[in-house]
Amino acid sequence: MNAIKLLRPKLLFGLLLAASLVAACGTARRSEPIAGPLPLTEPELAAGRQVFLQRCHQCHPGGEGGLGPGLNDKPLPDFLIRLQVRKGLGVMPAFSEEQISSTELNDLLRYMRHLRRHPADDAPAGS
Amino acid sequence: MTPLVPKVLRIALCLALGMAVSGCYVLRTSSGGAEADFSPPRHVDAADIALPAGYRAEAVVTGLTFPTGIAFDDDGVLYLLESGYSYGEVWTEPRLLRLDPGSGELQQVMGGGRTGPWTGVSFFEGDFYVTVADVLHRGKILKIGPDGSLDVLLDGIPSMGDHHVNGPVVGPDGFLYFGIGTVTNSGVIGEDNLQMGWLQRHPHLHDVPGEDIRLRDRTFETPTVEGNKTSPNGGTGAFSPAGTAAGEDQVIPGAVLATGSIIRLPTGGGEPELVAWGLRNPFGLAFAPDGALYATDNGYDDRGSRAVWGAADHLWRVETGTWYGWPDFSGERPLTDPQFKPPGKPQPQFLLARHPNVPPAPAAIFPVHSSANGFDFSTHSSFGHVGQAFVAQFGDLAPNVAKVMAPVGFKVARVDVETGDVEDFAVNRGTRNGPASLVGGGGLERPVAARFDPAGQFLYVVDFGVLTIRGEHMMPRPRSGVVWRIWRDQP
Repeated sequence: MNAIKLLRPKLLFGLLLAASLVAACGTARRSEPIAGPLPLTEPELAAGRQVFLQRCHQCHPGGEGGLGPGLNDKPLPDFLIRLQVRKGLGVMPAFSEEQISSTELNDLLRYMRHLRRHPADDAPAGS
Repeated sequence: MTPLVPKVLRIALCLALGMAVSGCYVLRTSSGGAEADFSPPRHVDAADIALPAGYRAEAVVTGLTFPTGIAFDDDGVLYLLESGYSYGEVWTEPRLLRLDPGSGELQQVMGGGRTGPWTGVSFFEGDFYVTVADVLHRGKILKIGPDGSLDVLLDGIPSMGDHHVNGPVVGPDGFLYFGIGTVTNSGVIGEDNLQMGWLQRHPHLHDVPGEDIRLRDRTFETPTVEGNKTSPNGGTGAFSPAGTAAGEDQVIPGAVLATGSIIRLPTGGGEPELVAWGLRNPFGLAFAPDGALYATDNGYDDRGSRAVWGAADHLWRVETGTWYGWPDFSGERPLTDPQFKPPGKPQPQFLLARHPNVPPAPAAIFPVHSSANGFDFSTHSSFGHVGQAFVAQFGDLAPNVAKVMAPVGFKVARVDVETGDVEDFAVNRGTRNGPASLVGGGGLERPVAARFDPAGQFLYVVDFGVLTIRGEHMMPRPRSGVVWRIWRDQP
């Protein structure tokens, strides 16, 4: 039993580390010259982009690294992003409901997922 | 003993998770764009610049030394400005150059001795207007005829500090508009100003507000200068010379030639007028097709006696008579917000007892330390994006301005000024952003100005060249400047 109990956290730790390393190997670049235009086909995506430009872009330009780390190459689950936005972590400030409403946060998460998956297979590449 | 092991692992897991999520800002060393090894000559290859589909780029002029400005005369002939000075305390001769359309040779129209940096140029009704920072003396506005005739339109501009006089542009009203950058990072002389090199030359220089202001009682520990040596001396107040304390309710008199301001001046000469103030470093100025004036503004750095962390660069729509927030706000946000507290340093507090107005919302927000500089508006459908701004981002000067986790800037951005939407337009190819000297290839280094040709079909990008940092020492590389031309060959 003890061996199994010991194994689980180790396994989880290893998986997390491996996932982080794999994710860090990809590029975070998604901007138009690199990946083609990002289609914002739904109003929620356009709204999410506005939140991103107002609150996130300055430290994570286009989801790339800058003052802060890149985001597009880190497939964090939504609940962790929500947690970090609301509570802050490290040097990243927390954003209250007053600063980013629940609806805006939902739009932001949707936009970030959309940006992370860009380019779509049929998207034109930049020249 | 065994229960302790899982507990240790759980703690390790939490730490790993935290590090993965936060990116370990505090633990990591800086990874800015200037922190590259570079051996001249600079390799130039437009194929290494990524652009949106349908656009192309080429290098028009190479081998320039610290180019900063570009203009076209009535015949569409291209003129360039070489600064004559760069951060890092490197002097060469500032020059206004003409690119001969027949031979492709550069011809000198005017040289400036040791009056650099010359930061920008505009052409209007037969004459060139040049902003001259002259950091050894005081800033000036020069009017230069195509035959080399010279007229000093304005002298005595306080442009010898951290930031200079910038961005000359003639408005629809026929006045010349230009910006004056602040002397300091955030209102207080500090050790960072000694490192910049100017405090030894101008020990009594300090920031000047655009109208009388009343200070809060804030005193900062700052070295002062005695001769050419520094000695510790407690007590330097805001808007005050190094070593001069400022008491509570002290009034600092305002002036027309305020630092952190936009000024207008008749092109024929005359009295300057204060248009707006409370900016930090209004580097680029341009008029939109609707006649509105816009200005880029470089945000605060994490340095000096009153360090500010995480402050963005901005694009402002400039309204006459408005105060834009410096030294107490970044955009609309007060510096007392915890987001501006630098790790391990004090939270910035307000310096002004009363703010002239609530700062307006910026037209666009640029990445922290991207150094959003010269820009222009597209006016022709052949290029596309009519009414949008194309902004040269010089790129970070980390670690001198702050620690960054990846290079910031080193590109041209496109801005929809109606929505504030910012999108990359010209960047270097590769898996990461940065100057060519860092990421490889022959693409962009440090775009400092962007201007359309008179027909609006070509966007010219002035690339200052390679500037690296070793330790805290800035190393600009002469003869590494380039002018790029971008156009659309497929609609």
